[in-house]
Amino acid sequence: MSKATVIPFGPQHPVLPEPLHLDLVVQDETVVDVLPQIGFVHRGLEKLVETRDYNQFIYIAERICGICAMGHSLGYAETVESLMGVEVPKRAEYLRVIWHELSRIHSHLLWLGLAADAFGFESMFMHCWRLRERVLDLFEKTTGGRVILSVVKVGGVVRDIDASQMAEIVSVLDGIKGEYTQIMNTLLTDTSVKNRTVGVGHITTEDAAALSMVGPFARASNLPYDVRSFGRGAYGDLADFAPITATEGDCYARVKVRCLEVLQSIEIIKELGAKIPAGDIEVAVKGAPADGAQASNVLEQPRGECYYYARGNGSKNLERMRMRTPTSQNLAGMTVALKGCDLADVNMIILTIDPCISCTER
Amino acid sequence: MTTFEQTFEELPLAGVHDLAAARHAEGWRYVQILAVNTEEGIDLVYSYMKDGHLANFNVSGVKQTDVVPSITDLYLEAFVCENEIHDLFDVAISDIAIDFGGMFYQLAEKAPMTVVSPEQLAAREKAKKIAAAKAAKEAKAAAPAEGPTGPTEEEIQAKIAGLDPEKAAKVRAAMEAKARKAAEGKGE
Repeated sequence: MSKATVIPFGPQHPVLPEPLHLDLVVQDETVVDVLPQIGFVHRGLEKLVETRDYNQFIYIAERICGICAMGHSLGYAETVESLMGVEVPKRAEYLRVIWHELSRIHSHLLWLGLAADAFGFESMFMHCWRLRERVLDLFEKTTGGRVILSVVKVGGVVRDIDASQMAEIVSVLDGIKGEYTQIMNTLLTDTSVKNRTVGVGHITTEDAAALSMVGPFARASNLPYDVRSFGRGAYGDLADFAPITATEGDCYARVKVRCLEVLQSIEIIKELGAKIPAGDIEVAVKGAPADGAQASNVLEQPRGECYYYARGNGSKNLERMRMRTPTSQNLAGMTVALKGCDLADVNMIILTIDPCISCTER
Repeated sequence: MTTFEQTFEELPLAGVHDLAAARHAEGWRYVQILAVNTEEGIDLVYSYMKDGHLANFNVSGVKQTDVVPSITDLYLEAFVCENEIHDLFDVAISDIAIDFGGMFYQLAEKAPMTVVSPEQLAAREKAKKIAAAKAAKEAKAAAPAEGPTGPTEEEIQAKIAGLDPEKAAKVRAAMEAKARKAAEGKGE
């Protein structure tokens, strides 16, 4: 065996639009060790909570990441509501979950397009992003925004979805579902895709549990952890919810889990759209969190469990706001998945983990 | 369906590693570590989860002279939070499995999260005033009712301590002037 060589990967790399750096220690063509590094664009957004009141900070929270914007505003709002003992109206809970699941669809379609592009499957990249545009159109019609929605507030939501808009959402999703299923089946049965992904970047269920992995990355290793299964908010009213898992633990399994989660999200939205109760969409929130009061929260973002924490200081500004993102939690798992792989497979493994550096460098 | 529950408990600094070992042995997931800059030092919050129970453990007032034991020998994935807390809060953490030695984040300023902003300072002063006023109110309520005797000297001082410093100085000056005037009246 030849001597070990360190090959730098990133922070600027064609396969990743975000700055992630890896020191890949390779012997011949095999990766024998990996050292990940982030921190090139850390923005210190959590510090801004000291200069904005708890209502204003929601607009910063949703700007942490363009893909997970809805989730961050929701996770933050739920944490502050828990801190202040606020109970949100049922209709608002449904509306929040509908927009959040639409976000999951757009995030997974965006990821699928990027993955297809990395495979050299450019027509599929175009189709995935074309479908994603239709989801963004739904955002625009129901919230006024396509990426930053600004629709969640502490105590509820700022906009309602009326019956005609709900019918349109269901109709568009039905249309997407037909086309998406064709795309998904093509991807999952394609020989060249299987050649690139089956058996690559394998993680066992035991490793996934030991490394506290989250999201589709963990579920593809048959670890059935999904925050939505706690049944909080409107998720508790679903007739049936079970996390989508796969047993293979490789890149192919991660592709498959994300593909199937798009269909699951479509079904969740349709079910909640049919069940949504009438009533208020917000409650008035007055006062300030008590000095020393603290609350934590977890939310299933498209990439997995995101942890939120807030501590009050008696004023309208919070003493501390903290988010631990799914990518931060999955970095250790990523190093394990990369060890022992071929150098040529590094891109595919990283893509199927779908790291979001924008969230991690909040 | 698993239900979600969150709890907060206090944890001594010396118990950080033992708790992690116990949680690891019982099959709890590591969730995160965070830090909060307080006047008494840095508070660390360790979070673990099992069966929907999110257990947060608060290590209060970690000083710059303290060394926090790493838990990355048990939970490798904690290296991200531990390096982050070291870089942003200047907390010394020993034996991190993947230790960036202060180079995890490219920072323009050392330990930026320990800088107390004017807004945070104002919030803390306000919280102190509210606490002082609340204490004075409670002391007044606890005192035995003996007719309209008025507030005691301690109650007055506690109330003044709860005021804005500028306003407190004015009140003290007015009280001194009133006392002087009363003394002069007695002298005549």
